[in-house]
Amino acid sequence: MIALPLGILMFGSILLALLDGTRKRNGWIAVAILGCALIATMRLGWHIYDHGVQEMAVGGWDQGIGIVLRIDLVGIVFAVLCQLVLLSALTYEVIADVGARVFPALVLFMAVGLTGLTFTGDAFNFYVFFEISMISSYILVNYGESARQFRAAFVFITVNLLGSVLFLIGIAGIYHTTGFLDMVRIREQMPLVQENPAILTATIIFVAFSVKLGLFPFHFWLPTVYTGTRPAVAAILSGALANIGTYGLIRFGVDIFPRELEAASAVLIILGCASIVYGGVQAVSRHAPAEVLAYSAIGQVGYIMIALAFGGTVGLAAVILYSVLNSLNKTVLFLGISAHGWLATAAVAIGAFSVAGVPPVGGFFAKYALFDLAISEREPVLVMLIFVGSVISFVYMFQMYRRRIAIDTGPDAPPVSKQSLQAVSFTLAIGLIVIGLFPEPLIHVIQMAAASLTQGVAP
Amino acid sequence: MTLVFSLAIASLFAAGAYLMLKRDLIRLIAGMIMIGNAANLFIMASALRRGTAAILPHDGDDMADPLTQAMVLTAIVISFATAALALVVVYRVYTSHLSVDLGELSLAEEEQSELDEPRSEDIVETEIEEEVEAMIDEALAEVPT
Repeated sequence: MIALPLGILMFGSILLALLDGTRKRNGWIAVAILGCALIATMRLGWHIYDHGVQEMAVGGWDQGIGIVLRIDLVGIVFAVLCQLVLLSALTYEVIADVGARVFPALVLFMAVGLTGLTFTGDAFNFYVFFEISMISSYILVNYGESARQFRAAFVFITVNLLGSVLFLIGIAGIYHTTGFLDMVRIREQMPLVQENPAILTATIIFVAFSVKLGLFPFHFWLPTVYTGTRPAVAAILSGALANIGTYGLIRFGVDIFPRELEAASAVLIILGCASIVYGGVQAVSRHAPAEVLAYSAIGQVGYIMIALAFGGTVGLAAVILYSVLNSLNKTVLFLGISAHGWLATAAVAIGAFSVAGVPPVGGFFAKYALFDLAISEREPVLVMLIFVGSVISFVYMFQMYRRRIAIDTGPDAPPVSKQSLQAVSFTLAIGLIVIGLFPEPLIHVIQMAAASLTQGVAP
Repeated sequence: MTLVFSLAIASLFAAGAYLMLKRDLIRLIAGMIMIGNAANLFIMASALRRGTAAILPHDGDDMADPLTQAMVLTAIVISFATAALALVVVYRVYTSHLSVDLGELSLAEEEQSELDEPRSEDIVETEIEEEVEAMIDEALAEVPT
């Protein structure tokens, strides 16, 4: 049962690699496979919700020898999120006609990588799945195949390859200092490790994941790439792939390096604040919608960092809730800005409200969780900063929306897209409103997940 | 042995980092490959131990760590694949820009971002300004003199 979603995706991606993805029928096959995997993952999630962490040693090896698949609630939340984002982007692109033979197969390969890294309990296996999703993203950025996409792909590959190498060095460091690759054993061994090597390893891993996330000093690649790629790919990068960064920071930071994370909380808060201010100010000054969203993504990462710096069950729940809603917002917006028509415009409006954190849209609860956290930690400066950041995000989202209306009603308005194409982002936007109206189930699951990680109830 | 390894890793990493600062894309990729190989060596160095092969250990003998070798093999394959992919992308950049110079690429990027600025922005601004002026005129007309 644990291996079922991974199995579906692996065989599906290999099957799709042999088929011609530009044909409509094959595109829909890919959507169906991803849908099946999503259902299987959700079923597995239900099982974990009832029975706690699931564990399995791969290949019939004994526990402690074979590579372990271990999945808890945090992992399943991120797996479902990534698959949902990939499914929407793939559906969008299939409706809009896929332009490259390999596109559906690559999306499925990325789903394999993202699902795998949330399922694994082995540090090196994490790296392997991480690279599977990164390599498919390297090729996906080229999608569209014009000079602009090649430039974006080059920047993306150079920076992220360096990030991956740093992560590999970090894993070698962990193996050297603890002698284990199984994450549970690493966690047991970590307190015995001397302080200096542990801090060095933790820093390397932090930098590696911050590059993926696009946190402030490591953000420089992000605008070029997000504006250069096709909208469906930008949605995949910001909605699904960036989750590697958050999930990795939770898995390695909170789980394996809690001591170092606590020591670095001041640094995280400073970087987070810088990210919020920098991303917000840059986003206000930009005109192209994709560029506004790219800088907005840099700003949103800052909130996640601040919540991570506070730590604890409440902080961790805020991190997960914020990254779930941020991914959904970005997917809605990237898919919405590229389609034209009233449905897509409505989706952009809902997504914009969600980024700004206006009730009754889901984003409100993400912002609310952060306010709650900052107030309960008695940090008036941060409360102010989060407030100012929200106001800035409202300003740039409103500007973006106004420009869109101006262009759509202007003299050279782009042609209206197919209804079904607009419906993809609109459906997700409705989902955001539903989350905003009935947030209890999601918040409950996320709080349980956070509690299981911080209080060591599970793994 | 540890010293030799650390010297080798340090020089590979330094050479790679130096090459990555060049403007030529091919050198940049070469630098990336060198840094990747420094990481591979680092994995090997993470468990340096002399011993017999792990496939058939004799009782009482020290066993060499087989795990690092498995890891480094996987890492080599991955870095090889990504290096090949990166070279393909450099080739595509070359065919579309007829240059492998970073300066030319950033020039092209700047031209593109100037093209992105939506034109209708100016129209909207002036429309709003005209509306506001008309409203002010109306309001002034209503004021009794």
